[in-house]
Amino acid sequence: MNKSSRKAILAAMPFLVVTIALEALVRAGWIKAFLVPPPSGIFITIVRDWRELFEALAMTSEGAVLGFVLSTLAGIAIAVFLSSSRAIQEAFYPYAVFFQTVPIIAIAPLLVIWFGYGMRTVVASAFIVSIFPVIANTLSGILSTDPALCDLFRLYGASRSVTLWKLRFPAALPQILTGLRVAGGLAVIGAIVGEFIGGQGLGSVIDIARTQQRTDKVFAAVLLASVLGLALFGAINVVSRVVLRRWHVSEQA
Amino acid sequence: MIESPAGADRGVALRLKNVRRTFGDLVVIDDLTLDVVASEFLAILGPSGCGKSTLLRVVARLNEPDGGTLNITPADSKFQTAYVFQDAHLLPWLTVRENVALPLELTGADRTEHHARVSRVLSEVGLTEAETRYPSQLSGGMRMRASLARALVTEPRLLLLDEPFGALDEITRFRLDVRLRELWIERGMTVIFVTHSITEAAFLANRAVVLTRRGCHIRLDRRLALPQVRDNELRLSRQLADEMHALLGAMEEEG
Amino acid sequence: MASRIIETVSLARRSFLKIIPVAGMLAACGTAKKIRLALNWKPDPEFGGFYAADYAKHGLDVELLPGGAGTPTVQMIGAGSAEFGIVSADEILLARDQGNDVVALFAAFQNNPQGIMVHASRKLESIGDVLKSGTLAIQSGLPYARLLRKQFGFDHVKVVPSPGGDLTAFLNDENFAQQCFVTAEPLLARRRGVDVKVFPVSDIGYNPYTTVLATSGDLLRRNPDMARNMVTAVREGWRSYLDNPAPTNQRMHALNPTMDAASFAEIAEAQKPLVEANVLGAMTKERWNTLAAQLRDLGDIKQAAPAEQYFRSL
Repeated sequence: MNKSSRKAILAAMPFLVVTIALEALVRAGWIKAFLVPPPSGIFITIVRDWRELFEALAMTSEGAVLGFVLSTLAGIAIAVFLSSSRAIQEAFYPYAVFFQTVPIIAIAPLLVIWFGYGMRTVVASAFIVSIFPVIANTLSGILSTDPALCDLFRLYGASRSVTLWKLRFPAALPQILTGLRVAGGLAVIGAIVGEFIGGQGLGSVIDIARTQQRTDKVFAAVLLASVLGLALFGAINVVSRVVLRRWHVSEQA
Repeated sequence: MIESPAGADRGVALRLKNVRRTFGDLVVIDDLTLDVVASEFLAILGPSGCGKSTLLRVVARLNEPDGGTLNITPADSKFQTAYVFQDAHLLPWLTVRENVALPLELTGADRTEHHARVSRVLSEVGLTEAETRYPSQLSGGMRMRASLARALVTEPRLLLLDEPFGALDEITRFRLDVRLRELWIERGMTVIFVTHSITEAAFLANRAVVLTRRGCHIRLDRRLALPQVRDNELRLSRQLADEMHALLGAMEEEG
Repeated sequence: MASRIIETVSLARRSFLKIIPVAGMLAACGTAKKIRLALNWKPDPEFGGFYAADYAKHGLDVELLPGGAGTPTVQMIGAGSAEFGIVSADEILLARDQGNDVVALFAAFQNNPQGIMVHASRKLESIGDVLKSGTLAIQSGLPYARLLRKQFGFDHVKVVPSPGGDLTAFLNDENFAQQCFVTAEPLLARRRGVDVKVFPVSDIGYNPYTTVLATSGDLLRRNPDMARNMVTAVREGWRSYLDNPAPTNQRMHALNPTMDAASFAEIAEAQKPLVEANVLGAMTKERWNTLAAQLRDLGDIKQAAPAEQYFRSL
């Protein structure tokens, strides 16, 4: 058995154990089926309603990925801006924290007024919810560059922008990627919340199934949302491996 | 001989006059006056925390003195100073070659010359075979050689080193000491080498200055009576022992 | 082999669960157990009678748990995290179809207060007109919404999720129609300067009991006295609230300051016709059977069980 198939089996074990245990517990009546449906029921629902669920998954994926890409670009740009001086940091960083703390449900009606019902609200919601870790991690990475290397650049007369792009930014990449890992999962959550409000995708499936008392469908949609989150996470890991493989301890054997 | 045989015009002369540097309430350098002759190999010795690293940073103009003046002659060519740190401090995402080429890129040197200049300096430190490797794939000694090569690539007229070989094992240290001295003889720049090792100071330099624990005053300023060309055999010689004795005496004094 | 294991576990469960009621009763004898009544919205006139009730008089120590958007009262009853809850009649049928044994005891609203609210300026005549243009914000999973779709189709109207009690979108857009309680949101909209017209959902023949006090079949079997006393207390509470809502409104307003005192009074008055009856909270077999048939036709439940299973008259 090679290394990666062993890894895959190890990762799948807890999931299999929980699934089997859950199935047994629900069938025996220890857990009530209308609260937590048996995994077999969830599976059947996925198969039976697959077209609706996968169309919804595609919509949510679009919203989450777009929101994530936007928060990556904007988050890095904002962090670069904040890193330019202490005064700017002190003046503006607290407002960045606002993105972290604002309860998205509270500003939902406003989102709908500004962006309308549909994909734009979903992307806006995913963006708002996922941007802060990008800003925080990027800024931290940029500011914690090795001081000796900064001295080295200064010695050779490098301008601030050269130091930023040739030194601080590459040095910050491991931390930026950490921020992106967190942001990916948040973007999925943000997209789903946006869909509760904006009415489409998996969020809408969950909301409607809930009012229909169809817990099996709720769980099926939630499961697919988790798969989406995992896929995004995996994609970022791949990028991380490619970018950092040569030189960062986190990606070396 | 005091200066490198390559000639006094290859190095710069420094004049520090009443230099003072404070850190909040703490006076790190208190009224220091020191003349450094062009192309000389000067060792600066002192106990830990006496301010010798701070002094080196002031000379490098990484920090401005809070009082007094620093004059470097000739002052005309830019970026004639190079600095080797206590750790190699290479950029981990660049290969050895790219790291060594960095100063040339930053100072805007003629692109067509980059490759040749880097190759030359890599062979001078013995890293030609490793030039495509990344710092994480190198041993400590090789990283320090790369750092040295990087410092030399701009052909600096002033080379500053801050306890660069401290983290290396003894044999590697000995080898690099010898190599550094050879490079000085070949190139003729002014070298200021900060260390807390009496052995190293005596082996490497033509002139040693011992600083006090507080305030960075000069306790001893001594020309070392040792041959120009030095190898590791010298370490076991009577001559070296005598010089070390003098330095030790100064280091051991209180206050 | 797997079925053997499940059998054994099942047997173990049943034996174990038999002990619980005994233990529960022993515990109940010792101390007055807190009874939790879970509401499915914030305190407002819709629950007036439940707040007005004098539970202590009937030997009950009741705690009202306010809810909000999406509070799963019917699941809370099934899971045992509330002894009683406020649900709507259609929720009860859907829940029972999923194996959740909830039973209705008291229907505060004899008639369904759900409706669709539109800007009066649009000069629409009937519910069908609403579905011909503009935007409609409803909870599309609810049976009445599915019935609307079946009867009129959603091809010409843009359906979006209901924003709960929030009126921002409605006030900002003339062509925006929104689901509401006929007694509540229209008054609030008028107060904000917009003249509205309301179409009750009952117009299309969908009229389930609403704001229904329900409990689990289990509790009914174990403690019928508690259920009976609850219903009596609540019936008296609603009578008292209908006759004099002011003091209870004051208490609820303190708990829910998002709506002003004047609105509380206005809504309490407006909802009277929907609540008033010869016997407050009473329910009939016929109404339940009608509802069950409607839901079965929509495909929301598999089959309509005998009406006796859905409700008790205590």
